[in-house]
Amino acid sequence: MREKRLYLLGVLAVALMAYNLTEIAARPLQALFYIPLCGTAALAAVTSLAASIAFLRTRNFRFDSLAVAATEAGLAFLAAGIVNACFLIHAAAGKWWTWDSRLTAALVCWLLYATYLMLRHAVQEPTKRAASTAVWSVFAFLDVPLAVVTIQWWKPAGHLRFDWTQLRFCNLAAMVLLGTLFTVVRMRQEETRREMDSLRRMTHAL
Amino acid sequence: MRFFRQVWVVTVKDLRAELRTKEAINSSLAFALVILLMFSFAFDPLADTTREMSGGLLWIVFAFAGTLVLNRSFARELPNDCLDGLIAAPVSGAAIFLGKAVANFLLVLAVQLISLPVFGVFYSVPWTDQFPELLLVLVLGTWGLTVVGTVSSALTVNIRLRELMLPMLTYPIMFPALLGAMELTATLVTGNPIGPDKSGFLKMMIGFDVIYTAVSLVLVETILVG
Repeated sequence: MREKRLYLLGVLAVALMAYNLTEIAARPLQALFYIPLCGTAALAAVTSLAASIAFLRTRNFRFDSLAVAATEAGLAFLAAGIVNACFLIHAAAGKWWTWDSRLTAALVCWLLYATYLMLRHAVQEPTKRAASTAVWSVFAFLDVPLAVVTIQWWKPAGHLRFDWTQLRFCNLAAMVLLGTLFTVVRMRQEETRREMDSLRRMTHAL
Repeated sequence: MRFFRQVWVVTVKDLRAELRTKEAINSSLAFALVILLMFSFAFDPLADTTREMSGGLLWIVFAFAGTLVLNRSFARELPNDCLDGLIAAPVSGAAIFLGKAVANFLLVLAVQLISLPVFGVFYSVPWTDQFPELLLVLVLGTWGLTVVGTVSSALTVNIRLRELMLPMLTYPIMFPALLGAMELTATLVTGNPIGPDKSGFLKMMIGFDVIYTAVSLVLVETILVG
């Protein structure tokens, strides 16, 4: 049943994406890809923060799985958004990277959340790992607005200007659906891994 | 009041342990001098353009040298299970954290104040002209570095690749404060005052310090105890 629902979600996401592609000529690429990609990444960051705080309060490992799943999905979407922005800038300025404030801020955010995954791989003990990364998720989230504002003071926005009125609901919805799908699949993997770990530990104890 | 006395005890303990061995502060100072020298090979040390970017160079030196001090902060407690003793002591995690952060802050600031004249001589920078303002930027930037660094030090104390993970964790979080410190230091050492266009960086650094100190004090118990 759960598999079927996931497949349905996937089909819906792909259908929406295909529908969006028919608009490629009519709308600027920013509205089709760049904003939805980064918006989904931002949503993933909020989800990760909420799950991390929930873990710190309840110590329920499902929230830990959700936090890592959302962070990984968000990183993938932000990476795609940055690559997409590089192409947009290349089309406008002839260079691949112009230190545009939005682009630089996106890269800083990507690095911030990449440290989350590095910390996760470095800590071996599961409880300690979950607690450490939950704390780090809070730290990283707090840094995002500070980094965005500071980088804007440092270098004003350049080529990556966009018309928000061009953004439509179904552009964003397709990406958010896809992001949700990634997160759910990844979360289930994480849960299965935890189960296997506990089984392995049990056999060792026996 | 009791809390601050506990903080003070941890600070004095850490400073005494460091001043008796001098392992972190010596390596940090030597490292700072080596990088200052190496930068002069990379850029013409007496050119005007180098002076304009010298604020950035200085903070790269401080950030690198600072992590050497921060690395030792919790790692020093590992032999003889001192860390377990410290956590088991009837002192809150926040007091241990704040005590260690203050000790680290004083050590890193000492390294900075020693390397600053060397920097001034090597790159012929008039760093004494606006020293009170420069000291304010140094204090704000260093406190940000030590708070984030002490938390990272506590997070990484028990993991493999500890020395590698600390800078990996600290620098990305430090981006806003480091960027502000670099901009302000570059302005000050080239003889310009902090105008209204740059005062935002100062406020941001104060905000960064306050936010991360508060969050660290709340969450450090979780990090230390698990």
